[in-house]
Amino acid sequence: MIRHLFKLIWNRKKSNFLLITEIFFCFLVLFGVLSFIVYNVRNYTKPLGFEHDNVWLLTMRPSTDSSALNHQNLEQVLQLVRTFPEVQQASLTSSNAPFAFSQMNNNLSYGNVKDVMADFYEVEDDFKEVMQLQVREGRWFGMQDNASHHAPIVINKALKQQLFGEEDALGKLIPVNDSTNYQVVGITEHFRAGSEFAADEPAFFTRLNLPRSPNSFWSEVLIRVKPGTGIAFEEKMVKQVAGIGKGWALEVTTLEKMRQNKAKLTMIPMIALGLVCAFLILNVALGLFGVLWYNINSRHGEIGLRRALGAASGQIYRQFIGEVLVLATFGLLLGVMFAVQLPLLQVFDVESIVYTVAILGAVVVIYLLTIVCAFYPSRQAAAIHPAIALHED
Amino acid sequence: MITLSNIEKVYQTKTIETVALQNVNLHIPKGEFVSVMGPSGCGKSTLLNIMGLLDEPTSGLVEIDGTPISKYKDKELAHIRNQKLGFVFQSYHLINDLSVLDNVELPLLYRRGASAAETRKLAMTALEKVGLSARTKHFPAQLSGGQRQRVAIARALIGQPEVILADEPTGNLDSVMGEEIMNILLHLNQQDGTTIVMVTHDENMAHKTERLIRFFDGQQVSDARTAAFNFQQV
Repeated sequence: MIRHLFKLIWNRKKSNFLLITEIFFCFLVLFGVLSFIVYNVRNYTKPLGFEHDNVWLLTMRPSTDSSALNHQNLEQVLQLVRTFPEVQQASLTSSNAPFAFSQMNNNLSYGNVKDVMADFYEVEDDFKEVMQLQVREGRWFGMQDNASHHAPIVINKALKQQLFGEEDALGKLIPVNDSTNYQVVGITEHFRAGSEFAADEPAFFTRLNLPRSPNSFWSEVLIRVKPGTGIAFEEKMVKQVAGIGKGWALEVTTLEKMRQNKAKLTMIPMIALGLVCAFLILNVALGLFGVLWYNINSRHGEIGLRRALGAASGQIYRQFIGEVLVLATFGLLLGVMFAVQLPLLQVFDVESIVYTVAILGAVVVIYLLTIVCAFYPSRQAAAIHPAIALHED
Repeated sequence: MITLSNIEKVYQTKTIETVALQNVNLHIPKGEFVSVMGPSGCGKSTLLNIMGLLDEPTSGLVEIDGTPISKYKDKELAHIRNQKLGFVFQSYHLINDLSVLDNVELPLLYRRGASAAETRKLAMTALEKVGLSARTKHFPAQLSGGQRQRVAIARALIGQPEVILADEPTGNLDSVMGEEIMNILLHLNQQDGTTIVMVTHDENMAHKTERLIRFFDGQQVSDARTAAFNFQQV
């Protein structure tokens, strides 16, 4: 029967061309949207590498250009913040704090591996405790780094893999310029600070040593507060910080709020694309339903004939469902041929598994869609009285 | 073989009730070639549909080989149609998108256990019987009316049915082609012993069969042996 169905559809390929084309394009759109969704969902399920609950971000904008004064005030602010009983730890950070709309990156080279682009974060020693980072190998920054000849860095696993492969990375020197080298002192598991939907990209931390940078200013402080700390403390802290930094613009937000804002950036296009895709699928479904309905109605004579030749109504029903599945198979074969080019050519630097899942998902959805669309017309076809069907023709 | 007792068929709509068959009593024995004649709308095709298990009578009893068909469900009726009955229609009812060979193979598609090779062999044999073995790869649109009807006969033959029900098989053909088709049917009846019930408007064709039943307004008005039967008897 399957051979018969394929033969029938193949011989009717001209009249089925539009339907096959519609299924093909529906598959491509679905594949694109599913790839996007699968990519983001996979990232979402990966660990961030840090804990953002109960972490606040204090942003300070000084009102004067005096670097020395600002630096002095910054030291006082940090001292003050660390004395509050509600605060567990605090750390200065570069402007690209987790979930911030800011990014800093640098190219690193080691041996034959050239120009690996990596995000970098300038942080104090307390950053590990504030963000509760897990160091899998080596150590985090500490006082011993004050005497180091090289600039210590902690890298994440993704950077370690790209730069060193299976080689041990600890203690390795990475040239920055003619006089400076980074020295790898530790490796963290993950660090996906961009957003929950961001990929696990290469990243490294450099050590921010406030006392050794007398004329420098960092405007962001990450503060881990005790659970349950609320707005009353925020007001108190802002008031007292404002007493030190006269005229400074101060802003406090939580990493949770920043996470939500960042998530919206991915969620909104994902939902929008999903809606567009759902609308498209609905249109395709209505089109398919209409065409199948028309096809079946114009084949009453054939249905009557098949019944006369010995087909039970169930066989007629299965035949029409089968025909639609064969039609879908033709459209899907074309679509899959296109879709597999993406993992084969490694387009967009996305893992092959994302495309594989998207292809399988799109195939299943298209088959389900065609079955749903064919269900009612096929049932109607199966219910046609053979004598009436033969008479109509 | 086929027995109809007190058959009545009424088509009912909301406003009209049409009696298509009334008090029909018939017995078609195995190996007989019967023709059914009557004016248009007298119930000939309805009779054939009821004999072919494509339609149910409003009342009365239909028996195939002594078994009433009312006890059968759709699946079993389909099985009987496939195993015991072959159909030939006036308008051929060929599937235009299938080749001659594929059209002939259709009945075996619904028969369990028929292998592809066996089906092909039977289809070729059936096409040889109707003289169309050279046209296997042609499509219906490439054939003449007579050739199409021969394909339809080959399709009816492939399942080696005991009965062929032919609804005006020569109705769309000129006299020469009609004659050809009639000869094939006669040959099937005489050589293979296939029972044939043929609805026709053509007196000449009807008189070539053994038995002629006439219908008028849904009623059986005569049932007689033909001269051809008497000739055979002699």
